[in-house]
Amino acid sequence: MDFKDYYSALGVDRKATADEVRKAYRKLARKYHPDVSQEADAEARMKDVNEAYEVLHDAEKRAAYDALADRVASGAAHGSAGRSAGTQGFTPPPGWDEGFDFSRARHGGTAGPADDADFSDFFSSLFGAAQRRQAQQRQPRMRGDDQHAAIEVDLPTSLRGGEHTLQLQAMELDDDGQPQLVQRTLQVKIPPGVRPGQLIRLAGQGLPGHGGEPAGDLFLELRLAPDARWRVEGHDITMKLPVTPSEAALGAQVRVPLPNGDEVEVTVPPGSRPGRRLRLKERGFPGTTPGHLYLELELALPPADSEAARAAYEALARASTAFDPRSALGASA
Amino acid sequence: MTTTTYVRHTSVTITQADPVDDAHPLGTTELARAAGDREEWVVALVETGLIAPAVPGAPQAQWVFDGEALRCALQARRLQRDFDVGLDAAALIIDLQREVRRLRALVGAAQPQRPAGG
Repeated sequence: MDFKDYYSALGVDRKATADEVRKAYRKLARKYHPDVSQEADAEARMKDVNEAYEVLHDAEKRAAYDALADRVASGAAHGSAGRSAGTQGFTPPPGWDEGFDFSRARHGGTAGPADDADFSDFFSSLFGAAQRRQAQQRQPRMRGDDQHAAIEVDLPTSLRGGEHTLQLQAMELDDDGQPQLVQRTLQVKIPPGVRPGQLIRLAGQGLPGHGGEPAGDLFLELRLAPDARWRVEGHDITMKLPVTPSEAALGAQVRVPLPNGDEVEVTVPPGSRPGRRLRLKERGFPGTTPGHLYLELELALPPADSEAARAAYEALARASTAFDPRSALGASA
Repeated sequence: MTTTTYVRHTSVTITQADPVDDAHPLGTTELARAAGDREEWVVALVETGLIAPAVPGAPQAQWVFDGEALRCALQARRLQRDFDVGLDAAALIIDLQREVRRLRALVGAAQPQRPAGG
């Protein structure tokens, strides 16, 4: 675990006022917002920036972090690794947070779980465990916090359901009150028909409670792995259906494998153009109003790579001399 | 020699995973807890129109919410915390984000597919 320099993550110096920290954060939060940023590493940068702000905008956490940084700089915080001057192999010294209070409610409500899945081990080992320990001292009986994470699956899995493995890390206190990093491997059974963006709730799989109180819940947001073959809007699915020019022009019965694993025979009406949508009723996501599956026709050209295929294209060209695909492009003059 | 953090591994098999939907909604307390805020704040979200109870017109004591409400609540809380925006502004930002994602999905679908095997 490396010691993180939160000041450089926000681009402020150590003397920055609370207002300067806030302004720097907001600027970077806009710059690296995943919906806005064009930069490839925007998501990773956003996590660093969020984590740095989480510490530096909170006077108590910032003071504790500063004190710890001083000890690191003087080489006192490394334990046996302290003799090497670097900041790698960092472990917080026992009692580093004495006298600081991270457990107070903030943000007009609660402080929120400190080991948000997005934060680094460094953050969790400092503030996650400390916050839990202090909360426990203050309130010995407390239900565990809810946790949030996202999982990415393909469309067939979201339609049919399936298993997904994910790993979660959290700093938990052992029986002696010592923090330890716990890595949990969850085999999640995804129920069939969960749409992208929908949340799945795993009761009792959030952070542990203490004093005999139950654990929190884990909420998983289902995301769809990017796939150019289909897109999902609400309960509806649109899938591209490649057809040959002859199938589109003359009409055809084609067999179509569906994302849920079924296969259906579909009638392509004669005279179909690319972009035409054929609807398979209620073959989208299930629900009180089930969605539809739309097949969007696109042309796939058979290659002219044999004598017979070239002859067929030539015959088609001779038969359609009156057809000008570029008639709409010409200048009117 | 480096001091390392002790990592404990556990493995859990989940059998019960419920989608947060009309059949398994969240009560007001559950929504507040999952979003890390108080019940009064959930009431304020409903009053702003940012989220709506699954059953329109239900009395407050019987409010239940679907997963979309929780997603909106989490986004709103983040926006409030990071930018001090009011709930109306948060609602507008969330609507715009949704629209950007919808349009991006359309643009992505309109990109020509690369032939398999390049």
